[in-house]
Amino acid sequence: MSHLSANLEILRRTAPAFAALVEASKGGRLVIQPSREGSPSAQVDGQWIHSSYDPKREAGGWAETQLQEWKPGELGVVLGTGLLYQVEALAAMKPPGSVLAVAVPDLAIVKEAATIRAFGSWCEQVLWIWGTADEMAEQLASKGAPLRFFIYAPAARLHAVEHQALESALRRKIAAQASGRLHVAVVGPIYGGSLPIARYLVSAVESLGHRVTWLDQSIHHRSYESFGAYKDPRHRLTMQSRFADTLSLGAITHLAEDPPDLVLAMAQAPLTLAVLEHLRKKKFLTAMWFVENHRHLTYWQQLAAGYDYWFVIQRQDCIDALKRAGARHVHYLPMAADPSIHRPIELTEEERAEFGADVSFVGAGYRNRRILLPRWLSDEWSFKLWGNEWDGAQALSSVLQRGGARIDTETCMKVFNATAVNLNLHSCGGDDLDARADFVNPRTFELAACGAFQLVDDRSLMPDLFADGEIVRFKHAGDVPGLIKRWLDDKPGRRAVAEAARARVLREHTYRHRAQDLLSTIGLDQPDRIGAMLRGDRNAEYLSAKETTPPELIPLLRYFPGGRRVELKDVAAQIRAKGAATPLQREELLILMLDSYRAETRDLV
Amino acid sequence: MARALVIQLARLGDLLQTVPAIAALADEEPRVELDLLCPSPLAPIGRLIPKINRVLEWDGAQWQKQARQAEESFHLDRLKEAERQLPSPAAGRYDRTYVLNQHPRALLAGALFGETMIGPRFESFDEHLTPWAAYIRRVAATGISQRVHLGDAFCGLCRVRPTGQAIAIRQPAEALRADLAEIGRGPGPWIGLIVGAGDPARLVPMDVWQGLIARYLAASARGRIVLFGDRNETERAQQIQDGLSPSMLGRVWDLTGRTSLKELASVLSRCNRVVGADTGPLHLAAAVGSCVVGWYFARARVHETGPYGTGHVVWQAGGQVPFPAFRVGPDPVTPMQWPVDATVAYLTGEEPAGVEGWTMWHSRCDRWGAYFTESSVDQLPPAERERTWQLLHPAHI
Repeated sequence: MSHLSANLEILRRTAPAFAALVEASKGGRLVIQPSREGSPSAQVDGQWIHSSYDPKREAGGWAETQLQEWKPGELGVVLGTGLLYQVEALAAMKPPGSVLAVAVPDLAIVKEAATIRAFGSWCEQVLWIWGTADEMAEQLASKGAPLRFFIYAPAARLHAVEHQALESALRRKIAAQASGRLHVAVVGPIYGGSLPIARYLVSAVESLGHRVTWLDQSIHHRSYESFGAYKDPRHRLTMQSRFADTLSLGAITHLAEDPPDLVLAMAQAPLTLAVLEHLRKKKFLTAMWFVENHRHLTYWQQLAAGYDYWFVIQRQDCIDALKRAGARHVHYLPMAADPSIHRPIELTEEERAEFGADVSFVGAGYRNRRILLPRWLSDEWSFKLWGNEWDGAQALSSVLQRGGARIDTETCMKVFNATAVNLNLHSCGGDDLDARADFVNPRTFELAACGAFQLVDDRSLMPDLFADGEIVRFKHAGDVPGLIKRWLDDKPGRRAVAEAARARVLREHTYRHRAQDLLSTIGLDQPDRIGAMLRGDRNAEYLSAKETTPPELIPLLRYFPGGRRVELKDVAAQIRAKGAATPLQREELLILMLDSYRAETRDLV
Repeated sequence: MARALVIQLARLGDLLQTVPAIAALADEEPRVELDLLCPSPLAPIGRLIPKINRVLEWDGAQWQKQARQAEESFHLDRLKEAERQLPSPAAGRYDRTYVLNQHPRALLAGALFGETMIGPRFESFDEHLTPWAAYIRRVAATGISQRVHLGDAFCGLCRVRPTGQAIAIRQPAEALRADLAEIGRGPGPWIGLIVGAGDPARLVPMDVWQGLIARYLAASARGRIVLFGDRNETERAQQIQDGLSPSMLGRVWDLTGRTSLKELASVLSRCNRVVGADTGPLHLAAAVGSCVVGWYFARARVHETGPYGTGHVVWQAGGQVPFPAFRVGPDPVTPMQWPVDATVAYLTGEEPAGVEGWTMWHSRCDRWGAYFTESSVDQLPPAERERTWQLLHPAHI
């Protein structure tokens, strides 16, 4: 009997449908080569996906490393199939009672493996997951267990796109199923463009039902600014830097008084590397949403290793650079809008007169805007320019509103709503459109959320966020006048595009979506911590219903509302509240003992 | 047979101050089997305490790890893991536990291991301290002299009276390694110096140690010096030696970082005198029968934690407290000068001269336990202790 027949026979015993599909599959990408040790190894596009010396030994070493992460009760999921040596090794070592699954995006590879080598009975213990990303996510989610992913990188790279889709599908599922309540501390910047985003994020996380502690650093802005009065730049920088250090210490003092499950910092948050390292030592989980162009602001290089999770608005270049600088987890998380702020507004006639125009631009006077905007003025349309930092831009002085004063968000929304064609030009230091146009700025989402029509310079990441019917992009500055004219003349067309864009934002691009994604990403990576909290596995109701909960503790858990998350310190406080004279059960004493040590480990300041 | 567990979860010095209470308990109820619960690292010393049947080890590091995990991912299954790490008594729960620390953790251990608890609280987790616990707390916070020694106050906590004599711990049975076995053999006297201290405020400056070694070796032609300390103190010991002449170095043995606790106990017992601040190793030296010379400064007070037993001397920094009742807390004393010459004189059998800012005390023992007198001439025991026992412990008078 051939290897294939024998292996399919084994597979049929526990996964007949899977065996049938493997048998029927065609094609294959593996180039099989014997290893030096004798067992078959494989290459794809000239790269080994198993050791060319000893694939079994390599797989054993890999499995031993993974095993250290695998907690009881978690469903282990291997990403990366290849010849399945790594699955065999992990199946042999897996903790008793644990279940191991393998995600199979390409059945043909399993067929190749089954053809080339004999499987053993181990493959009867494996849960085979296959299909589209959504189907695989559905199968995994239906098991009702926390997922622990084991990535066998040499083989997983063949299906990076499918795995990413699986991760996204799982994130969506986690977000949809989330019933647990986290405590998130959001640390904002002292000032700057990320400050309003921090506020939107706070609202978004709260709207998901989580508790948020908002560490608003903007209250220190005036003090920080006052150091700018020093004439010698060294004095100014020293004072501002020391001030930021003090704010950093202030932040951890706050965290010490009410420890959160996650410290979520926005770009420019004044948390120093020393403070981040201290937080890690004390087991605080930290994340940074870096809503900046990583090529312009480069302080991330010093902080990369400090945060547990980075979320960035740019793709591969940025992700690779951060990882090279020491970041452990980096994920793409684009900008968004807050529909409670960025929304269609009914304007009065007076407001229309004040804020309205055929064409408007809102933003600061960066170099490329100073050069390009004058080219887009015309006698054929009215033009209004709003925003600050336009000093010396003579060619635009006739259209500059309010003398170049900074305008608030409410005014900004009125301009968006009152304008026929909003221009959205990403800033850069050059003379033309941004040559490295990747990320999409918040303005794009805000305009869309207002139901306002916009012409935006093209970005490589735009197609993932808005389809052609939802947004109008220009690739060359010279195309803009023609586009303005064309769309000024097409009011119904403008409305259709703007409405489609708004619908897309409401469907996929709000800060609530981003907060869900961010928390689900961390939850997926930490199934036993943030993941458990999000799933509601720490809720009183869940704990009460769990078979392993000691019966003596169930009455205690009843003191908590069913949906309330219950932690060690909460149960301990409840036990203490019974009073000194009440005799305690053994389990209660153990909880108090653990809590006495817990109180010491979280001594942060 | 009734079984009782003595719980002492603090440091080495406290464990050794518990020896009088264990001896008193064994005297009072000789038929009760006594076990001891102490931190794992101190268990080898716990096993040397007479009258202790079995030592249960408390693994604080493991508890810390468990607590960290419970904080990160709390589920009630963690209780099973916590249960597993409890040391298991030979035959179920104890009839009684004697809890000698006021930390809630010790009280919890008392409740976990025993049916009834005797110690610092009337009820397990009552806010109200027993009279002896209140006394210990008060004397720790004030500077009064001639109070009941901590070792005897532990007896009070256990509701027994002191035996009236110092009880030495057993010598470790194991033979010393060859490189340690030479200590205390051959010409002497051998003087041990405890060069470190867990509390940085109790560190004697290195130049003071250098001065003491140099003057002692100059005064005692056959004298030998042994430096004691843990692995964190090896650099300190090296720096002390760096200031000594080569001829002196030939008479100095540096054992810092080279001994286990049991080896330390053995080697300390081979020293004729041991000099040091108020530290665990100093009490270990006293417990294995060496005569110790204590330099008590910072917050150390001879009357509270002086070396237990007879034949020890202590130089106490700072004067008498004129109005002890008005003290809100002992001020730490940082000496401006050190009793180096006086100590060398004492070690070489001469009459020590007085040292400004220091007083010299001799340790003694009577039916009320340990006490200290300021002169080498016999003095009547102070009456304060008896009054304290009458007040706190009338049933036992």
